[in-house]
Amino acid sequence: MWNDIWFLVRMTILTTFRKRGNLLLYFGLPIVGVLVASMLYGSQSTPDLRVGVVNEDGNQVIAADTIRFVQGLSHVKLVNTTKEDLKKGIAASKLDTGIILDAGYSSSVLKGKAEHISIESVKGAQVTAYIKSMLYGYIDNVTAMGSIAAGDTGKFQQLNETYQAGQFKLTAESVNDKSSGQQMSYQSIGFLIMFMMTSAVNLSQLILKNRENRTYFRILTSPISSRTYVLSNVIVNLIVMIIQITVALFFMKVVFRIDAGIPVGEMVFILGLFALVSVSISLAIVSFSKSTAAAGALQNLIVTPTCLISGCFFPRSIMPEALRKLSDFMPQNWVLESLGKLQAGEALYSIGFNIVILLAFAVVFFLLATYKFGRNNDARNFV
Amino acid sequence: MNVLELRGLTKKFGDFIAVDNMSLQIREGEIFGFLGSNGAGKSTTINMISSLLRPSGGEIRILDRDATKQTRFAKMNLGIVPQDLAIYEDMTAFENVSFFAGLYGLRGNDLKERVQEALEFVGLSDKAKSFPKNFSGGMKRRLNIACAIAHKPKLIIMDEPTVGIDPQSRNYILTSVRKLNDSGCTIIYTSHYMEEVEEICSRIAIVDHGKIIAEGTKEQLKATITDVKDIRIELKSLDALDLEQLKSIPGIRVLSVQQDDNMVRIQSDAAVDNLNRILKQLIDSGMEIRAVEEQAPNLETVFLTLTGRNLRD
Ligand SMILES: Nc1ncnc2c1ncn2[C@@H]1O[C@H](COP(=O)(O)OP(=O)(O)OP(=O)(O)O)[C@@H](O)[C@H]1O
Ligand SMILES: [Mg+2]
Repeated sequence: MWNDIWFLVRMTILTTFRKRGNLLLYFGLPIVGVLVASMLYGSQSTPDLRVGVVNEDGNQVIAADTIRFVQGLSHVKLVNTTKEDLKKGIAASKLDTGIILDAGYSSSVLKGKAEHISIESVKGAQVTAYIKSMLYGYIDNVTAMGSIAAGDTGKFQQLNETYQAGQFKLTAESVNDKSSGQQMSYQSIGFLIMFMMTSAVNLSQLILKNRENRTYFRILTSPISSRTYVLSNVIVNLIVMIIQITVALFFMKVVFRIDAGIPVGEMVFILGLFALVSVSISLAIVSFSKSTAAAGALQNLIVTPTCLISGCFFPRSIMPEALRKLSDFMPQNWVLESLGKLQAGEALYSIGFNIVILLAFAVVFFLLATYKFGRNNDARNFV
Repeated sequence: MNVLELRGLTKKFGDFIAVDNMSLQIREGEIFGFLGSNGAGKSTTINMISSLLRPSGGEIRILDRDATKQTRFAKMNLGIVPQDLAIYEDMTAFENVSFFAGLYGLRGNDLKERVQEALEFVGLSDKAKSFPKNFSGGMKRRLNIACAIAHKPKLIIMDEPTVGIDPQSRNYILTSVRKLNDSGCTIIYTSHYMEEVEEICSRIAIVDHGKIIAEGTKEQLKATITDVKDIRIELKSLDALDLEQLKSIPGIRVLSVQQDDNMVRIQSDAAVDNLNRILKQLIDSGMEIRAVEEQAPNLETVFLTLTGRNLRD
């Protein structure tokens, strides 16, 4: 059976993607989605932060390390300056924020209590808050190490090196403008969801198309069963959607450098789950349609409006309460909500309920389609 | 050995009986003609044989095995040429045939060879790389046949394979049917063209209202109607024709009119001498007779006599 399925899958993919137009339709559009989302929400993102550093603590190891840490933060550009120039620079908007290390900073850290450090800025709290939170996290760590070293510079350095080789790198990767990156990725995925659903219906429609050109019945007179045939269609569909997900995420992360604030694995998991839902919905649509035209009409009636309500095109927060309630019945909403929760820092296991709901959607629509397919096996058009 | 055997095959759609207790045996090496007017139940029978439809009753045996139970075996040995084209317009001729042959488990070089063979058989080798959208009607029909034979089935069922095509393609198809038969295939052939059936079929069944009403070689079938004569009268015009009046003449069984050539066809008891009365009646009602002809019975006469209808009504 798997031999047959593989044969059918290969033939379908070969003939479908022989047409350039289909390649663009299935894989170009998700990229366009990411592009559009990054244009819609990308304008708010700030370029590199220009941080002025005033180091009056001399050549102390800890001071130098602190500066290196700030420099290591992404989207940060360091400028060495003096207290006076720092004030001027900030006033003239040449600098976004400044860090001042007064004499005695390093030794205070070594003693286990950071003093003689301050942050200056005129910009909105957001920028300073970012630098502050990163820096304070760092300082907490180094002071802790300072306590352990109890004034022994050599021991401190050793501790610090081990530590930096480890988890410190992770922290330094974070992006400053997290919220706009999240919004961009959220919306990109909104578009992706829409394209996944449309392409799922398009591919399932092949079943109807093959009924219309009667090749379906020819297949049924061969040793291949209708179940095998439909399964092969489902597999083609899943393959295409997995590629769509990969392409979209690749463009999001690598090309456009948008940070979704969620590990890629979790994103792929949730979207993969939604791929199952899409296939089941598309099969249900096809099972209830007599022709490709009817399926097209059903698709327009179902896919676009539900995507709209679920917030695939713009944030749900701007929609009236009634629509938001309604979207609880749409699987797209559960995907986006899951992503939102993950972005807010919740762990994968804490959105178990969403996952169950998504699975339930998939199961219900699969059953519905199976039931309908079983009932309309009409071979009148053949022979 | 019987390649196909039907035992009391029945199909009901609700209250309507489309195929009615049909029994039939087709032996290896036959070209079996299946004749019947529209709605006689031919396609329904074929759909059941090819397991697209579940029979309401009776049994189908292919190569002495129950086809409804051993579907895989049955399907492996069957090739169906459907009445309406069933090919992919967006695949080349070669790809079409490889796709359908591949469904029977053929792969690799085996597959390639069989596909080439099948295309050669229907005379499309030079079109292997072309798409059917650029094909003529006859070429599409030939491809339709190639798709059904590449897996070398024992039994090939062809439903009207020559409908609506040019004479050249038609001859090609008839020749290839014979060649298939020579290579050991058993063939069931349905057609509306009596001449074709007469020409290639070794045995014929006439189906009407889901039943087989006559079966045998064409000679046997023709012999069954020695008691009927077939008279054709060509008139100048059919305007003043009164069929009811003609029907009242003793001995007349079936009357039919061919509008396009102003022809009246009469099946009448051979034992009753009524030609004079018929002609007199026509002349009396003011009609001008162009020609009168008595035909030796052919399949069409047989069909007309048995069913009371023209095959192409
Ligand atoms: N699925 C169905 N449901 C109800 N009635 C059907 C169905 N399929 C066929 N029939 C009826 O069964 C009868 C036999 O149809 P069938 O298609 O077998 O005839 P046929 O001999 O192939 O005719 P033709 O020469 O026109 O192809 C027809 O009256 C048709 O309307
Ligand atoms: Mg038919």
